[in-house]
Amino acid sequence: MTYKMELINLKKSYNNVKVLKNLNLTVNDGEFLVILGPSGEGKSTLLRTIVGIESLDGGKVTVGGKDVTNKPPNKRNIAMVFQNYALYPNMTVYENIAFPLKMERIGKDKIKAKVNEVTKLLKIEDILNKNVTKLSGGQKQRVAIARALVRDPALFLLDEPLSNLDARVRYTSRQELKRLQKELNYTFIYVTHDQLEASNLADRVAVLHNGVIEQIGKYNELYEKPATKWIGDFIGTYPMNFIDGGILDYAGKTIGFRPPWTKNGNDIKAEVNLIENSEGNYYVHGNVNGNSIVIRTTEKYSIGDEISFNLTKFNIYNNGILEDVKLTEYYKNENL
Amino acid sequence: MKNNNIPSYILAIILSIIFIYPLYILILIAFEPISLTFDRLYPYQLPFDFTLANFESSIKDLSLITPVLRSIVVAFIVSILAIVLSTSAGYGLNKLSSRFSNKIIVLMFFANMLPAIVIAIPISVYFIKLGLYDNVLGIALAQELVVLPISAFIMLGGFRSLPRDLENQANIDGAGMISTFRYVIMPLIKVPLTITFLLAWMTSWDEFTYAIIISPLAPTFPVSLYDYVSRGEPFISASFALIVTIPVILIVVFLQKYLKGEYLTGGMKA
Repeated sequence: MTYKMELINLKKSYNNVKVLKNLNLTVNDGEFLVILGPSGEGKSTLLRTIVGIESLDGGKVTVGGKDVTNKPPNKRNIAMVFQNYALYPNMTVYENIAFPLKMERIGKDKIKAKVNEVTKLLKIEDILNKNVTKLSGGQKQRVAIARALVRDPALFLLDEPLSNLDARVRYTSRQELKRLQKELNYTFIYVTHDQLEASNLADRVAVLHNGVIEQIGKYNELYEKPATKWIGDFIGTYPMNFIDGGILDYAGKTIGFRPPWTKNGNDIKAEVNLIENSEGNYYVHGNVNGNSIVIRTTEKYSIGDEISFNLTKFNIYNNGILEDVKLTEYYKNENL
Repeated sequence: MKNNNIPSYILAIILSIIFIYPLYILILIAFEPISLTFDRLYPYQLPFDFTLANFESSIKDLSLITPVLRSIVVAFIVSILAIVLSTSAGYGLNKLSSRFSNKIIVLMFFANMLPAIVIAIPISVYFIKLGLYDNVLGIALAQELVVLPISAFIMLGGFRSLPRDLENQANIDGAGMISTFRYVIMPLIKVPLTITFLLAWMTSWDEFTYAIIISPLAPTFPVSLYDYVSRGEPFISASFALIVTIPVILIVVFLQKYLKGEYLTGGMKA
């Protein structure tokens, strides 16, 4: 069974600091939603209030249409994987995975069958009798996920589950998580500050900033059309470039463009002050009327050169909020 | 063994000698004829003779058996009570912010800052009324005063060292408060629990002031030992003391295997 989840006007503050301010979010059933935001924006707090180990100052959490706001965590049927996995150190792998079923007072044979099914799915059948303190990071993560899966939860919350793994394991784990979620068709809510994870895993990405979901959509949408200047700055390997609108006849507004959205031309001029070489392209840093920018080019420049270029497309921001998306006359040529 | 460890070993040996020396003297007094120990101005430090005469007379003198049994009962009441009370106290205090809980712990130590005799006498007045005077339970309750603050302190430390997400995880996995405590928390606080038990047991075992004031007519072992010494029979009490040290050593050896702390956070690290 999969469930839809709704968060309505969530409010939460710590010591007079408002962490969540009327946060609204709907997660569709079977969806892989990634909540993305820099550290300290309250992503973990949000998950903790959804699962119920942190109380809310106001608002409502519904799962599958039922209001669970006032239920304790053990009655919500929401599974969660913590960043540090929180495996029970006094139990073996088998006992860890069986624990949620044991709490439901299911018969021993049934528990065994279910644990076996889940461990087969995650390929950890051969470590069932090991002590969890003796496992590698990747194994611990699988055990934690198995323990969450085994009870057929309505909703799956994952709090940066890959951040403690090394790069290679992280890559394989990421693929596997995605495969699992699609195969089993569970609703996943996944918190991370890592854009790569967000773009790889998510059906939709929700950006948490200043206690609200600032934008929600496919990762590409967030990249191409950031709803605010802040998101443009936050999303992408290189932040979006922002220059004064006056340069292209949009006085009083701000023009935003990504490093690849440029083409040789004479509209904008800048002096090169840093060059980065990245997989066949050069990322050239420069300065336009006091705003530092980065553009991608295949031509070689050196520091101190003047570089001039045209934009193939750009976004117009008014007071930091997206107003319009423009394709210029150079855009078509670019696509040829 | 690496060479740079040798100074540590030498220090450890010196320390052990210092700690073992009193026990050694006790053994010497117990197994030597009186002529070589108490009757000499400067007793020999090495054993030159061996006798079981002291043991025979102390075992014949059965009047010490009852105080020993009484002491054992009192020690178990004190230590079990200490475990029950300090576990709940520590668990509760850990839920408060540490600023609060530290203050409460300091308050608990307040009774221990006064000399025991100052507290024991008023207590004994009340205990006479309550029928707890000259009573095993009375001694145990009074000794609990000494034991409880440090026990609560140890247990609080134990709970603080538990990763907090573990309890949350158990909650999320469907366990209520009681199940969480039983299946997840209890197995992880075995070490502080053992220390609390040992400390309470041993404190009660040789506690003197409260024991002699609350229960002079039904004395515990240290109190009657003192009676023997003051009656001029130290060699008998020395050999008897040696006999009754054996259960204490047994308890420590038996519980020693729980006294290791490295597995506590094992499951949390990546």
